[in-house]
Amino acid sequence: MATSFKQIEENLKTEAGKLLDAGKVSMVLAYGRGYDEKHPLPYVARSLADVDGMVFNEYCTANLARYLVRYPRGTKIGIAAKAADSRAVIQLIQEDKVKRDDLVILGIPVYGMKNAKTDEAIDAKTTCGLYNPVIYDVLLGEEVHGQPVLSPYEVLEKVEAMGQDERFAFWKKELDRCIRCYACRKACPMCYCDPCFIDQNKPKWGEKSPETGGNLMYHLTRFHHLAGRCIDCGECSRACPVDIPLYLFHKKVAKECEEMFGQAAGMSIDEKPALINFRVEDSDKILE
Amino acid sequence: MSRIGVFVCHCGLNIAKTVRVSELAQFAATLPDVVVAKDYKFMCSTPGQEMIANDIKEHRLDRVIVTACSPLMHEQTFRKVLSASGLNQYLLTIVNIREQVSWVTHDIDEGTAKSKALLNGAVNRARLLAPLTSRVIDVNPDVMVVGGGIAGIQAALELANTGRKVYLVEKNSTIGGHMAQFDKTFPTLDCSACILTPKMDSVMQNKNITLMTSCEVSEVKGYVGNFDITVKQKARYVDHDKCNACLACTEKCPGKGVSEWDEGLVKRKAIYIPFPQAVPQKPIIDRDACTYFIKGKCRLCEKVCEQKAIDFEQQDTFSTMKVGAVIVATGYDLMDTKPLVQYGYGKYPGVYNALEVERLFNSAGPTGGKVTMRDGKEPQAIAILHCIGSRDKNNYEHCSRVCCMYSLKFAHLFKEKTSADVYQFYIDMRAAGKGYEEFYNRIIEEDVKFIRGKGARVAESADEPGRLIVEAEDTITGKFIKLPVDMVVLSPAMKPRADSKDLARLFNLSTDKYGFFMERHPKLAPLSTMSEGIFIAGVCQSPKDIPDTVAQANGAAAEALTIVVKDKMELEATTAMVNPASCCGCQNCVRVCPYGAPFFKEDKGVSEINEALCKGCGLCASVCPSSAIIARHFTNEQVLAEMEGLMEF
Ligand SMILES: Cc1cc2nc3c(=O)[nH]c(=O)nc-3n(C[C@H](O)[C@H](O)[C@H](O)COP(=O)(O)OP(=O)(O)OC[C@H]3O[C@@H](n4cnc5c(N)ncnc54)[C@H](O)[C@@H]3O)c2cc1C
Ligand code: SF4
Ligand code: SF4
Ligand code: SF4
Ligand code: SF4
Ligand code: SF4
Repeated sequence: MATSFKQIEENLKTEAGKLLDAGKVSMVLAYGRGYDEKHPLPYVARSLADVDGMVFNEYCTANLARYLVRYPRGTKIGIAAKAADSRAVIQLIQEDKVKRDDLVILGIPVYGMKNAKTDEAIDAKTTCGLYNPVIYDVLLGEEVHGQPVLSPYEVLEKVEAMGQDERFAFWKKELDRCIRCYACRKACPMCYCDPCFIDQNKPKWGEKSPETGGNLMYHLTRFHHLAGRCIDCGECSRACPVDIPLYLFHKKVAKECEEMFGQAAGMSIDEKPALINFRVEDSDKILE
Repeated sequence: MSRIGVFVCHCGLNIAKTVRVSELAQFAATLPDVVVAKDYKFMCSTPGQEMIANDIKEHRLDRVIVTACSPLMHEQTFRKVLSASGLNQYLLTIVNIREQVSWVTHDIDEGTAKSKALLNGAVNRARLLAPLTSRVIDVNPDVMVVGGGIAGIQAALELANTGRKVYLVEKNSTIGGHMAQFDKTFPTLDCSACILTPKMDSVMQNKNITLMTSCEVSEVKGYVGNFDITVKQKARYVDHDKCNACLACTEKCPGKGVSEWDEGLVKRKAIYIPFPQAVPQKPIIDRDACTYFIKGKCRLCEKVCEQKAIDFEQQDTFSTMKVGAVIVATGYDLMDTKPLVQYGYGKYPGVYNALEVERLFNSAGPTGGKVTMRDGKEPQAIAILHCIGSRDKNNYEHCSRVCCMYSLKFAHLFKEKTSADVYQFYIDMRAAGKGYEEFYNRIIEEDVKFIRGKGARVAESADEPGRLIVEAEDTITGKFIKLPVDMVVLSPAMKPRADSKDLARLFNLSTDKYGFFMERHPKLAPLSTMSEGIFIAGVCQSPKDIPDTVAQANGAAAEALTIVVKDKMELEATTAMVNPASCCGCQNCVRVCPYGAPFFKEDKGVSEINEALCKGCGLCASVCPSSAIIARHFTNEQVLAEMEGLMEF
């Protein structure tokens, strides 16, 4: 049986309290109350007194690894990390944005998370489908086992069946709806560039107002920048106010990358990011 | 507003036959900012160069575009024309319409159209070019040679004789390499030691050479002209400064190790010199064989050593040398033939590999130069199997180049030292060096039997215990043969050193798929590498014989000298730099740079590029997600403008 959300919340408070009290970390990244139960917010506890403000429920989908890069290198941070979030933490360690030794990872096994907008259960269709964190120091609930294990790439069947023209039409239609709020980028743990290429003016890589050319430039480049790095948390798509299924593209790129280099993003701190690690034995398929 | 001059070269008919050159010049004249456009038969000729120089003055040009051959050929030529005319040399653009256009098409319409597109892009880019200043750096006059085989010895001596200080780093306890293991050398059959040991001694005696045996390179920093190389001195447990080479210790030592020098055929002491002419003549202790290190008791060597040179407490030490250039000459290993189970090496005592046989012939070897087998008997019939693992897609595709010849040498020596019948199993007889065909003919006359067909299998004889059967197809008669012999000699593929890829990583060298170091250009720069200031010589580059090895060593010494002979050198100005305000600290640049130029500054959280190491390849700029990297001479604006120009067509 999966540990209840309430129990996880209790454990989270206890463990965070212990860490802060012992001075092992200077902050704990977790979730706090939002304007209602369905919209919990990212929350930073810096002292024992802050711990009470923490919550955990089925709507705590945000990937807190997003915030790790905000703090100066060397800051000791405790972080609540669900299954996919832990992969983001690993990927950030691989990219040397954070150091393993500076982190205390409070792993959260998840079952029954929900999309606040639709109230649908979140599963392998829109995320990587893992139940248990890949890496953690403390586990805040019992590991989830016995649940159906689905391939995160099954959902791709429909787009993969499309012909080239049809596929382009599909993505053009989807991306044309983008209002360029950049919520996807803000939600993404791997989109940490400051400034993002699309914000630059010299040279100007693409139009900034929402129109086809600029939208394609932004999104296609972003997909490309996340190749081999996206850990399939699905937060970009959940953050999108106009519900563009960005996860489909990210999953497709992740799948190709995994097939080509035999490694999925954020699965082991000993690996190097697939696309900037040349190995002689790498497949040449990428050149085709 | 720029004032651009465009100069279109015919390259005789090389370009003119598939590009309408005058049309191209007329087209150029219509492009914005182009104030003069001309075509000419040979732009690189003196009149061609003068034409450009005159036009620079007459039309007050501030950008020059030459549409001609690859910049690898004449970029320097035209840069000099600009400099001499008072223009910064980086304001030159070369458009390659020979290799990239005329040589890849037969269609003059297509050729002309593509040339126009390339030129249009180049004009767009030329406008945005900025003058750049080359960097001048100091050059350290010393050289390091890594590997003390014949290649390294030769290179070190050549350099030392010009007065350079040379560090010769050898991982074994003696220099000499494989050549020191041989008895005779083909094709002349002169005694290997007689020609090699004088050179080894010269190394020892030469005041300009610092000989560093039992040493390995552990870290390489810096760049051409200014390398900082850290060398690990492995503990020898003998203080060579005190040791007077009396070798009393080696007599008393009870420890037993395996003699690497004799290819494991015999044992040696735990404190030892590998062979009598070793240089230096001073012993080392093999920890794994030493009774004291194993059991905690013995120290006999210490007792007999009057010099008090034995030091069981000795540790590995590290020291850093500063040099201007490096020659890597680390040689080869023979392929391990055990995995080729069909040949029974390691299983049947009668099967030998080539280096073992070299030791059997050698008078300083395990048998004192007598050809006796592991069972003490002299063989009556011997089969030498060529191409074991070489010319073999499942193992090494290359021809090891020396096996045919040393197999002939073996045949001769077997004939000289035994009364055995000698059979050569070969695929093709490759005898392409000076005096080699003659050597081959000589051996034919010595009544050696040649069977054209690769040895397929070695099995134990069912009828005569202890004898071996070699199976092969004689491709001349088409018959399948089974030949009973006493001894089988395998001529295995020469392969790169087991650690060649690690060394490549240290020195930033490229290797081929097997691990042989890659030259900068297979024909025109066979001794240079992609890392400026690092040269290669000998078999570490590819299999070859001693004459070729020595020739390469001399060449590499000369190449190294061209660098260290100057006290200053100019480096290309086309390097990359990081704009710290845009850098997100992802370190992609650090990971992709093949030259190790970018480094991460922990305190600022951004990357920076060491200009002296940067070769301007632009990889970092292309992987930088936040486009924080400015590749000088190929800035994003310049490249985008060029692409726009190209895409207008
Ligand atoms: C069985 C056999 C017989 C041959 N007979 C002949 C012949 O008769 N005539 C002929 O012309 N050619 C012959 N050859 C070819 C000959 O051996 C080579 O051409 C020659 O030895 C190449 O010299 P080298 O210096 O490149 O390499 P090596 O002789 O291999 O020397 C390399 C040296 O570098 C050292 N080293 C290796 N790695 C490192 C490291 N990481 N750091 C420091 N030092 C290192 C090694 O210890 C060694 O001392 C024969 C080859 C074989 C296999
Ligand atoms: S969140 Fe949606 S609307 Fe906003 S930029 Fe991303 S895709 Fe466009
Ligand atoms: S691209 Fe989307 S799914 Fe991938 S890591 Fe970023 S937010 Fe998560
Ligand atoms: S889209 Fe690319 S440049 Fe922008 S933040 Fe994401 S990874 Fe960085
Ligand atoms: S790739 Fe670009 S953003 Fe990343 S560290 Fe290097 S310079 Fe900075
Ligand atoms: S331009 Fe090339 S050499 Fe220079 S830093 Fe970038 S990757 Fe390295």
